[in-house]
Amino acid sequence: MTRWGLLALAAALVAYPWLVAGSDSAAFLQDMGALVLLAAIGASAWNIVGGYAGQISVGHAMFFGAGAYLPLLVYQHWQLPPLVGVPLGIAASLVIAVLIGFPTFRLTGHYFSMATIAVAELVRIVVGNWDFLGAAIGLQGPATARGWYDVIFRSSVPYYYIFLAVLALLILATWQMQRSRLGYYLGAIRAGERAARSLGVPVRRYKLYALMLSATFTSLAGSLYALKTGFIDPDSGLGILVSVQMIITAALGGAGTLFGPLLGAAILVPLQTATNTWLGGSGSGLTYIVYGGVIVLIARFEPGGLVELWHRLHAARRRRLEMRHAA
Amino acid sequence: MLLSAEKVAKHFGSFRAVAGADLAVEEGEIVGLIGPNGAGKSTFFNCIAGDAAPTSGRIVFAGVDVTAAPAERHARLGIGRTFQVPATFEDMTILDNVMVGAFLRHKHRGEARDRALAVLELTGLKEQARQRARSLGTPGRKRLEIARVLATGPRLMLLDEALAGLTPGEVQRAIELVRAIHAQGVTLVIVEHIMEVILTLTRRVLVFNQGHVIASGKPQDVVKDPAVIEAYLGRGHAQAKGSG
Repeated sequence: MTRWGLLALAAALVAYPWLVAGSDSAAFLQDMGALVLLAAIGASAWNIVGGYAGQISVGHAMFFGAGAYLPLLVYQHWQLPPLVGVPLGIAASLVIAVLIGFPTFRLTGHYFSMATIAVAELVRIVVGNWDFLGAAIGLQGPATARGWYDVIFRSSVPYYYIFLAVLALLILATWQMQRSRLGYYLGAIRAGERAARSLGVPVRRYKLYALMLSATFTSLAGSLYALKTGFIDPDSGLGILVSVQMIITAALGGAGTLFGPLLGAAILVPLQTATNTWLGGSGSGLTYIVYGGVIVLIARFEPGGLVELWHRLHAARRRRLEMRHAA
Repeated sequence: MLLSAEKVAKHFGSFRAVAGADLAVEEGEIVGLIGPNGAGKSTFFNCIAGDAAPTSGRIVFAGVDVTAAPAERHARLGIGRTFQVPATFEDMTILDNVMVGAFLRHKHRGEARDRALAVLELTGLKEQARQRARSLGTPGRKRLEIARVLATGPRLMLLDEALAGLTPGEVQRAIELVRAIHAQGVTLVIVEHIMEVILTLTRRVLVFNQGHVIASGKPQDVVKDPAVIEAYLGRGHAQAKGSG
């Protein structure tokens, strides 16, 4: 993306809540904006290990869940501000990443993906039966703010800006990573582990670094979700759909690209909200159909996602122009 | 002695791909490995490169026992290898492919980039640096693999049929490249089917057959060895050659 494009995107994102403020459905649109950013954070976090390193984890709900549960857990049991649980969620996610990473990174391709599904489902089932963690009912945050530290706002706008700041930080971190040895090594691992190893890349160690970085931000996404909704249960925090949503969002925009996840979120979240609004409660099942359709379309027509499609069209147009000049 | 492999064996179940092979390489040499298809050359190569752990035997590189060490440690110690079927990183640019190699000894992006550009200059790929690897044909890919390994700063380079499938003109250019690499002080072990390459580049060859080293010595002598002729062409030819 060019410098001007980047500036325009940043300006549009900062101005969005104001731009829609005059609309009849301002609150709805602002809330949807916040949800887009939250989905973009989750997908960008997954993108580090799933896109850049090419390790398709279908168990990222574990990290999202850790980040979502801990803030509400410290409130429910000890009446602490949920914010206290945010670093705890990150710490728990890092522990899980290391515990999961060592055995599963021996596996490659589909075997790795299947192992991550298995572990994540196991975690969901255990949490769903553990009373301390709210079992099947889940956990709740404070109903009204006791102070600023409870991070409860009536409007979606403050959440929007908090999410935007975290997303900016994440994209900046990913950009730095992309340009560093870590980024190059992850790309090499994605392209071919055997060749990467022959060039001195400690494959398992770098996969673990990627997973830890990814887990940190996924956990943060979970915490932000919990802070905003004030409620979490095994399905919304640890369900397989949580992981699948991150994957689809990143893949639609472009896995392994900096802005692909944001683009994917900007398309999918409004689509999802629309189906839910039109069809009411009965529409939630439609989410699965939309996801299925998106998977089929990406796999069939553009495995590189929309960013790749854009690059290809752009290159084709440039070639046509050059040919016209030459003629 | 830069590399010494003693009684290296690699078994896959009951199949003995390599059945006790020895190889000693002095610093600055170019050694050739030849033999018919399925003779065990590539498996032996994989053992030296750390891609496969030998079933038995011992491999020492620059005084360090690397028998059971993983491939990345071999690379760090200074053993680089290319693959029979080029394993270039297709979606990365040629420059980025080589930078992955350069990052082994240069932590910072700028330094790695400078190193990669120098290597691309030497290997004649600088013009195409910004293209994706997938845009290259077979000769280009083989060249890119050599460039990538060179960027890791190896002391020993293992070339696994790096010149196979090239046209005569390309073979000549590749021979010049190998000479240039050798002139920089890199020791080489090459697996090759093209006799011309072996005869021009190496002073010493080992002939593999059915997992054993059946002959070794100067390439001109080895190609006349009846055991070698038999391995390549069958018993009848060896006898005909011997009586004629």
